Amino acid sequence: MPIAFEKVNYQYAPNTPFAYEALKNIDLAFELGKITAIIGPTGSGKSTLVQHLNALLLPSKGTVLVLDRTITHTDKPKELKSLRKRVGLVFQFPEYQLFEETILKDVMFGPLNFKVDEATAKVQALDALKMVGLDESFAEKSPLDISGGQKRRVAIAGILAINPDVLVLDEPTAGLDPQGSKAMMELFVRLNKDHGKTILVVTHDMEHVINYCDNVVVMAEGEVLTHQLVGDYFERKQQIESIKMNLPQLLAFKEALIAGGFDLNTPMRTLDDLADAIAMELSR
Amino acid sequence: MNNIALGRYLPLNTYTHHLDPRYKILGMLLLMVSVFLPAGFIGYGIIGAFVLLALVLTKIKLKMIVKSMKPLLFMLSFLMVINLLVIRTGYVVFSFNGFTIYSDALFQTLYIAIRLTLMIIITTLLTVSTKPLDLTLGIEDLLSPFKKVGFPAHEVAMMISIALRFIPTLIDETNRIMKAQASRGVDLKEGTFKEKIMAILSLIVPLFVSSFQRAEELADAMEARGYIVAAPRTRYKQLKPTYRDALMMVAVLALLGTVIWLSL
Repeated sequence: MPIAFEKVNYQYAPNTPFAYEALKNIDLAFELGKITAIIGPTGSGKSTLVQHLNALLLPSKGTVLVLDRTITHTDKPKELKSLRKRVGLVFQFPEYQLFEETILKDVMFGPLNFKVDEATAKVQALDALKMVGLDESFAEKSPLDISGGQKRRVAIAGILAINPDVLVLDEPTAGLDPQGSKAMMELFVRLNKDHGKTILVVTHDMEHVINYCDNVVVMAEGEVLTHQLVGDYFERKQQIESIKMNLPQLLAFKEALIAGGFDLNTPMRTLDDLADAIAMELSR
Repeated sequence: MNNIALGRYLPLNTYTHHLDPRYKILGMLLLMVSVFLPAGFIGYGIIGAFVLLALVLTKIKLKMIVKSMKPLLFMLSFLMVINLLVIRTGYVVFSFNGFTIYSDALFQTLYIAIRLTLMIIITTLLTVSTKPLDLTLGIEDLLSPFKKVGFPAHEVAMMISIALRFIPTLIDETNRIMKAQASRGVDLKEGTFKEKIMAILSLIVPLFVSSFQRAEELADAMEARGYIVAAPRTRYKQLKPTYRDALMMVAVLALLGTVIWLSL
């Protein structure tokens, strides 16, 4: 049961003077059970790409395989709802989708739409809230009376409560404080490790990519530049600079050390790796 | 949501695009007046030919017009039914089992259809060829004589331009929220009545919340840049009529004259 794009094109506003090709001939396969980062400059087609995963957008050309479903441009909206139960998509700034009187009701909204009974929906909603770090005292509050970061967590809980197999997040940490975004990324790692969820996350933060993700897909101008293991990707500095992204601090520091005469050529992902390499180098 | 072709500015480089917005608005108003004069089918023929010429000059494809007319079909058929039932003058065209259709009913419906179509094409011509901002500049200038009697022309124009400015933003926002809720299993087309109400609520509540937020932010941003409501202000863009505007006005006035003469 793969998630794959085969020769996918997507055009916005076709047959008008505003026509714009956002995806060009995408061939891509995501590994299940992993955390994959999707990076690339703004306007590179990341958000368009992820909206194909739960068929909010249908490919103009080509096919998208998601789990056991094949999606082409002829699919009818009616048959796509079952897919959305299995692939949860969290949009950028999802806090704007909150509308219910209480947080609990808002989180229950998703499961209820997918015909889960009231009692189960409530259990799932409370579980989801606990997962994002909001205890039961929040359940009866209004979703409009809490802080921005908490709203974000409620909105993500709203998708988690549906209990999808694949979780797709479009810049989930944008605008959060450093602690909030760390907690958020750690939540996704937990969901991946403990619950076996496949996670796809669009991000601009290279620190998140190197710290939390297994694979990385790089996009530019509607095309996929590369799809690699995170470790391999960061081995080549030019690749990252070519898409106008900064190296993660760790690797920038490593580069600076190499420039200063250190001999550090082992691959590294964490601060501990770096510390070990420096200790080795110093003791030599 | 992407097929709102009607009334959307198209960035082209045509005769109509280069007209001064003030005269364009005036010209459109005069055309509207001529549409509502009872000039019979010959009059509509002349106006139709004029509008067709304007369409060609603005490089609008007829296909686009036809497409934007589709939503009107329902309204027209509704009007047709009402007219057929209510109007009982003229000669009998058709009679069946005590159900009669009179000639005036048919003509009346036809007139309304023609008028509506012409009106929509005329307004489309204006909005397709004029940037919203230019449109409000034009409106402001045309309303400025009323300043003497205390009419806040600039403020009204500012409100219109803000409203216009936020239409695309609201459409984007609506699309975004619709998609976000669709990801949570909302289905606007299927489901029971109660589910549909919930679906609409899940769209409207966030839309209102974010609109109010946006309005407040905009007000703050305007104040931060020193906007004072009644202050006199200069304008960066100066409107200047050219020979094109003179030509257009002469043509429109000639048309209006002919139609008035025909309807006497």
